[in-house]
Amino acid sequence: MNGHPTRPEDFDLYALGVLEGEEKAAFEAHVPSCAACAEKLAEARGRIALLAFSAPRVAPSGAVKERLMRQIHSAPAGAGVQRERAPREPERAEGFFGRWWPAAVLVPVSALLILVSIRLWQENAHLIDELGVERVELQRQQAQLDEARHVVALMEAKDTRTVALASQPGMAKGDVRVMYNAKMGMAMCDGWVDPAPANKSYQLWLVPMEGKPISAGLVEYSNGPMKPWMVKLPPGVEAKAFAITLEPEGGMPQPTGPMVLVGPVS
Amino acid sequence: MSTSDAALIQKIVQRDESALAALYDRYASLLSSVLNRILRDTQAAEEILQDVFFQLWRNAAQFDPGRGSLPGWLVVIARNRAISRLRRHNPSAGEELLETSVIVPTNLESAVAQQQLLGRVKGALENLSTEQRAAIELAYFEGLTHSEIATRTGDPLGTVKTRIRTAVESLKRTLSP
Repeated sequence: MNGHPTRPEDFDLYALGVLEGEEKAAFEAHVPSCAACAEKLAEARGRIALLAFSAPRVAPSGAVKERLMRQIHSAPAGAGVQRERAPREPERAEGFFGRWWPAAVLVPVSALLILVSIRLWQENAHLIDELGVERVELQRQQAQLDEARHVVALMEAKDTRTVALASQPGMAKGDVRVMYNAKMGMAMCDGWVDPAPANKSYQLWLVPMEGKPISAGLVEYSNGPMKPWMVKLPPGVEAKAFAITLEPEGGMPQPTGPMVLVGPVS
Repeated sequence: MSTSDAALIQKIVQRDESALAALYDRYASLLSSVLNRILRDTQAAEEILQDVFFQLWRNAAQFDPGRGSLPGWLVVIARNRAISRLRRHNPSAGEELLETSVIVPTNLESAVAQQQLLGRVKGALENLSTEQRAAIELAYFEGLTHSEIATRTGDPLGTVKTRIRTAVESLKRTLSP
């Protein structure tokens, strides 16, 4: 994309965050220098922001506002206008033991307590932040663990079948295996296949006993070799075979290209 | 009649804490909802909520109400930070949005306007097919890209792209004034 985005909805897709790779890079290279496109992007951001209204309403606890108001008290004034200080009363020359001696003791003690409180609050905020990061990491690891459990469950299930897909004459070379469990509705694909031609994708299909083939995902490559993947399929579908076909880049709803690898379910 | 967002921003620039409190009361519930939907973690959502309003307090002078809508800007910042946290991207990415304009096609300053818009957005989403709605939600609330959605759903990438483009066109038609 050397000029304006070609389709009006590209702005909404960018604001939604689904663009990636070259599409995203080309968009970001053009829009900042084009006032008309920047305006369209601002409108798209506004439309997409409205999706926030579809989230179930969750009111924040009152403690958040209290913490916020305490935080702005303890924060430096920053770039904004500095808060005015309350005018001080003129000092009186009554000496340390004059009528203000309690203040002479209490003020430094109070100041010390405030400093200690601020320090403790800062440490607490830091610990809360670290805890949040750890929690996200834990969630990520939990997701990986769940996937690993699914793989183990698939491999251990007695009714899981392993299907070997063989290259068809005159087609790209490859050796792909699919582990499939109809009851669980899960399949895992692994192996290798020569890279697809430019602007083409290899697509894996479950060929059922009855009905149309069901897409089981696209072959992707991870720094060279084929990336193994697990896919959820409609449960209870008995497979007659698995096949990989050559399709337009991004895949098709139904197979249109030649079969590259095929494996019957024995 | 309630004070406008622009007037409250001006008061925040003058260090008026009650103005920040008023904007918090106006938009905290909306932001809290989207943050909880993204993070599914009340504590993390409240941390980001506080952080977004603190950023508004510190940088109010840089926000130009003439360039866009405050609630739109707050939602974009909050979502960006939540997705960053969810996906462990650079958490400072949200700072760049200070320069970002967000034009919301309607005024959201009153609770009534927010309630009316809630109905419109729900209606717009109900017009989508189940698959379209699911894809939009994966993108908006989980921050997934086209190929990540394809991987998650097991659908071909081309199908996912078409599905999202069609859904976005429909939302644009329904939500534009």
